[in-house]
Amino acid sequence: MYAAWVVKHKPKSTAEIVGNTEAIKKFSDWVNSWSKGVPKKRAAFLHGPPGVGKTVTVEALANDLSMELVEKNASDYRTEDAINRFAGLASQYGSLFGVKRMVLLDELDGLTGNADKGGVKAITEIVKTAKCPVVLIANNAYDPRFRNLRNFCLLIAFKKPPAGGIMKHLKRICEREEVQADENALKFIAQRSEGDVRSAVNDVQALAQGKKRLTYDDVSWLGYRDRQENIFNVLKMVIYGRTSWGAKQAVDMADVDIDMLFEWIYENVPAHFTDPHDLALAMDALSMADVYRGRIRSTRDWSFTRYVIDYMTAGVAMARQNSKVHGWTPFKFPSRILMLSRSKAERAMQSRIGFKIRRKCHISAARASKEVLPYLKIIFKHNTTMATGIAKWLDLDVDMVAYLVGSKEESKTVAPFLR
Amino acid sequence: MSFEMWAEKYRPKRLDEMVDQKEIVERLKSFVKSKNVPHCIFAGPPGTGKTTAALCLARDFYGEGYREHLMELNASDERGIDVVRETVKTFARSRSIGEIPFKILILDEADNMTSDAQQALRRTMERYTETCRFVMCANYSGKIIEPIQSRCAPFRFTFLPREEHDKYVEHIADRENVQLLPDGAEAIFEVCGGDLRKAINTLQSAASVNKPVDATLVYSITGRASPADVQKMLNTAIKGDFLGARKQLRNMIQKYGVAGSDIIRQIHTAIFKAEEIPELWKIKLVDIAGEIDYRLVEGSDEEVQLSALLARLVEAGYEMKT
Repeated sequence: MYAAWVVKHKPKSTAEIVGNTEAIKKFSDWVNSWSKGVPKKRAAFLHGPPGVGKTVTVEALANDLSMELVEKNASDYRTEDAINRFAGLASQYGSLFGVKRMVLLDELDGLTGNADKGGVKAITEIVKTAKCPVVLIANNAYDPRFRNLRNFCLLIAFKKPPAGGIMKHLKRICEREEVQADENALKFIAQRSEGDVRSAVNDVQALAQGKKRLTYDDVSWLGYRDRQENIFNVLKMVIYGRTSWGAKQAVDMADVDIDMLFEWIYENVPAHFTDPHDLALAMDALSMADVYRGRIRSTRDWSFTRYVIDYMTAGVAMARQNSKVHGWTPFKFPSRILMLSRSKAERAMQSRIGFKIRRKCHISAARASKEVLPYLKIIFKHNTTMATGIAKWLDLDVDMVAYLVGSKEESKTVAPFLR
Repeated sequence: MSFEMWAEKYRPKRLDEMVDQKEIVERLKSFVKSKNVPHCIFAGPPGTGKTTAALCLARDFYGEGYREHLMELNASDERGIDVVRETVKTFARSRSIGEIPFKILILDEADNMTSDAQQALRRTMERYTETCRFVMCANYSGKIIEPIQSRCAPFRFTFLPREEHDKYVEHIADRENVQLLPDGAEAIFEVCGGDLRKAINTLQSAASVNKPVDATLVYSITGRASPADVQKMLNTAIKGDFLGARKQLRNMIQKYGVAGSDIIRQIHTAIFKAEEIPELWKIKLVDIAGEIDYRLVEGSDEEVQLSALLARLVEAGYEMKT
């Protein structure tokens, strides 16, 4: 029921893709040139903003040419094993059954975020010797990390398709879904998406699913809620998901990162799981997802990301056994994030004081700001003499003292004693 | 009254001044006597004297100029591999001038090092043994990789027994002219659970109010994490109000900076004291608390982990009714 329309109505052929005709032609010419022997550039590097159809183009062309497409998941790259296996795949043009093969490495941006130069280097090695078309995809091909890799690739830029093209695409989907959509409603969505076809389709689904008609009034308020509609839809897929696969798909649809999606789910699970057993199970799944986040941090092995995803989506969805839904419960913005962002300046101050404490107390700044600072606050509130001495001893500045005392006014009583 | 943090002012300077961990101190003294020391791991809960022992050891080795032969690094602040590759290596390989041919590097909170950094450390430790000895302090030795553990002499620090703890806290109160009442001392022990640093900080902040330190004052000072608060959260959860309990939890963690490990320790105590929990359920809940405690140790988000525990308490409360 909650199949994502972006998946359901994904173009099967390059002819159905919105915009980027030149880029698509350049790409298909390059792939076709392989039948005449290995071309000069053994890899194509497709780059451009999110949601403009880079991945879809590769998939559709493979389909058009009846090629076998081997895709690699972003979280797999980091392990050396995965890269070696990938090297094996790329060393043959024809597969066992005579079908020609194309290898796709998606979301290379994921590699750049972390100190893993080895990954890019290994990929470069593979590209140099590839025996079949290798396709690389990233948002920003001009990241300095790819400098060397770029030399061995045919760069193909994807641009944002025009709103008119997106609108036609949305129209086609609405027809297939038997939704009667007003022209100006779709135009509004198409323009608002700013060239991001994927988000436009998600918006239409969020607004039109289960309806017969889609009017301008239905969509005009989207402006306010903006991207929230996307996240609501994603949450629905997770919290009310019927299959674990379906729930897992939500991650691909979300336009927030995994940590933020985790916060959304963590915030909204309690209100939507009314049965205590279900709630306990769902919270346990989130707890396990979090344990794997910790394991990623300590091992730096990002391939564990898949378990984080499994637990926080499928794990939560499958916890729902007896919970009844009473009417409509709205989804809420993660309040923990609100609280954290409100206290951002405060935490910065705490950590500055933490570093002062560290110099004197043989304790890490992180722990000092957590474990020693609360006591300082009490002392600074109650005892000016003691506070003054400590302020001097720790070499605190006026702002720090003001923070510990809790008010600018009272800090004046301490300030004169500071050097 | 003096004007620094008492926890520093009364930190023992020499091994002879250390009040507890007698066996450990004896062994460390024998190292000083023989003018040699192996790489060491000091493992044990916070506030039990690991860093102090390491600093005393250095002072006993080198005398008052010990700072020249010592480097203190804190892995929580400098946990990356670059620190090991650069800072540690540079310090470790340069020769020491003087009677003692090696220097000492204290690596505090070493269990917070990434495993990459630990791997890098392993070779450094071996190569520069001649010129540098490592003392690693950690709460959980299990988070230090095997190869490092096998290169180190392990020392296990334990919480101070009640008697020693009270004696030390009373000694400081005496020196600082603080009137510490018996129930105040007891409250400090209950709140801090044997963590001496925390106990001294509590004493000092209670003393700053300029009143005799009794149990009421200690609890109101630490009111942010007094047993009553945790008890309240526990009751809210058992009554079935998960969101309410989670809010209380969030306040404790975010507003007052209470450590997750403290909260779970207090939940653990509270479970056995709570009359509304049937006897049969208590051990079940402890089983769950233990699992969550372990997940916390693995380095996860405190609120997420503890609210998973709260959800279990809600479930238990529900089943008790039916």
